[in-house]
Amino acid sequence: MITIFFRNLVRDLMRQPLRTILTLSGVIWGTFSVILLIAFGESVGKAQTKRFHGMGYGIVLMFPSQTTLPYKGFQKGKPIRITPEQVEDIPDKVSDIEIISPEFVRSCRMRYERREFLNTVRGINPPFELMRNIIPAKGRFINPLDMKEKRRVCLIGDVLATDLFSTSDPMGKSIFIEGVPFTVIGIMAKKLQNSNYNGNRDERCAFMPWTTYSALYGDKYVSNIIFRPLDFNRSAEVTQGIKNHLSKLIGFDPQDPDAIFVWDTLEMEKSFQTFFIAFNIFLGVIGSFTLLVGGVGVASIMMVVVEERGREIGVKLAVGARRRTILFQFFIESLTIMLIGGLVGFAFSGAVVRLVQTMPEAVTQFVGTPQISPLVAVSSISILLLIGTVSGFIPARNAASTNPITALRK
Amino acid sequence: MIKFNKIKKIYHMGTQSLEALSGVSLQIAAGEFVTVMGPSGSGKSTLMNIIGCLDTPTDGEYFLEGKNVAGLTFDQLASIRNKMMGFVFQNFNLLPYATAWENIELPMLFNGKNARNRKERITELLNEVGLLKWKEHRPSELSGGQQQRIALARALANDPPIILADAPTGNLDSKSGVEIIELLSRLWKKGHTIIMVTHDDRLASHSQRIIHLFDGREAD
Repeated sequence: MITIFFRNLVRDLMRQPLRTILTLSGVIWGTFSVILLIAFGESVGKAQTKRFHGMGYGIVLMFPSQTTLPYKGFQKGKPIRITPEQVEDIPDKVSDIEIISPEFVRSCRMRYERREFLNTVRGINPPFELMRNIIPAKGRFINPLDMKEKRRVCLIGDVLATDLFSTSDPMGKSIFIEGVPFTVIGIMAKKLQNSNYNGNRDERCAFMPWTTYSALYGDKYVSNIIFRPLDFNRSAEVTQGIKNHLSKLIGFDPQDPDAIFVWDTLEMEKSFQTFFIAFNIFLGVIGSFTLLVGGVGVASIMMVVVEERGREIGVKLAVGARRRTILFQFFIESLTIMLIGGLVGFAFSGAVVRLVQTMPEAVTQFVGTPQISPLVAVSSISILLLIGTVSGFIPARNAASTNPITALRK
Repeated sequence: MIKFNKIKKIYHMGTQSLEALSGVSLQIAAGEFVTVMGPSGSGKSTLMNIIGCLDTPTDGEYFLEGKNVAGLTFDQLASIRNKMMGFVFQNFNLLPYATAWENIELPMLFNGKNARNRKERITELLNEVGLLKWKEHRPSELSGGQQQRIALARALANDPPIILADAPTGNLDSKSGVEIIELLSRLWKKGHTIIMVTHDDRLASHSQRIIHLFDGREAD
């Protein structure tokens, strides 16, 4: 019985091969679009988030500026000055901070043998490594002993390393920063970074202990503070806590919006993620519309098929077929077209995804490496089934409601 | 076996309504061979459709083996058609893409006969209509007479008590027509109830009784 059913199904589909293939192509294209749009939407989102994490993960940046409100007898326009000791003291006064670092920034000439470049120097403390994702590919980051002894050591960005040393190994060599020799103790691993502040991106920076920095250049006040809250969802409260603490210490209105400029990457990442979710839904909807067009193609062809095969339906009803037998027959026929199309579309998009995965990094750093993840598979299969069911049901119901008497008279 | 009590059938076409049957009462006993005759538009086909449970009357009662057919659902009627009725049409109504074998098999697929029983039955029927050699042929490869014999075999697939033949020889040459009538007569002798529509008096003479219809009524 089942064999007869499927034999007839195949025969019915093969009866008009060109028509079946054309109908299929609509579904194939639709499935292809849905899967690729969702897969690429997901991977672009991931790639951008990864690049965003290149600057750091879970961090808030605070840049001291000038007051814009008068406070306790001070006119507005008072510059805010914060020392690195005050910064390192903050976690004792304000709760819920995981790690914090002061940061000094300036441009310096850096020289090794005859190569010299003007790049950024950052004076920081050891936790900076984790906050800013500065992973040593070789050697190590600044450690507490470097801090304590104000050692003239530095970790350099990968591009800076190549610029200065070309192919030779920089580890343990001395470079001159504004004429002062520094030992290279580490080289940063290559990373993607799409956001930055104050100076060059990390790939061209030299990182040194802030104690060394401030002793060497005489800077007393930090360029900015960088910290990571314990609970990423409470970054805004923690930031306000730090502001309140510093306002008492330094003297500015804690509600002053501009005394300390805040860049909360956590807030930004939240809106970033919301944006990408919306973006993916948008892409999914566009893809679904394409698939819907394929589904409409199936439905309309099946309507024609039902019309053409009116006599067949009439005969079957006359010899005792029940309405749902007819309904089932045509429903399965439409669904088969949808599923075959879906399968082929899946295969095609899988091939494209595989192709992109093998592409050079120049491409994949922007679009990411798309993959047919469970999310992509589940959403595209459910879209396919939904559209398949609707576009199969309408003609099938039409077939099942055939009046056998008029159908037989044709 | 079949009892009509003042059966009416009214077709509505837009604002107009057409009374195809206006109160037909008749009885057909089991094992009868009845011919229905009448000019076109007299309601012969409507009468056949109602007897065959393809159509339901607008008014009146139809008792099939003492059971009132009115009020049965479409699927219940489908089951009656499947088990009790064998249809033979003027234009054969064979499935064009299916072989003779598959056409005969069709009614059996709708009552769940198993494959071995189906095979036996189809072979038996093909033998009976003398077309076993032609089992793998499609209708377009068969002559009109052969097609009608396949259609008759299909009608007999589930061994229904009633055979409804609506102008079965209308599209056939006289020789093939005679063959079909002889087959029907043979079935009648085996105990089937035969109800046939025809315009041909000579064919009607094979039957026991002739019902004349005129304008949706039984003519006296």
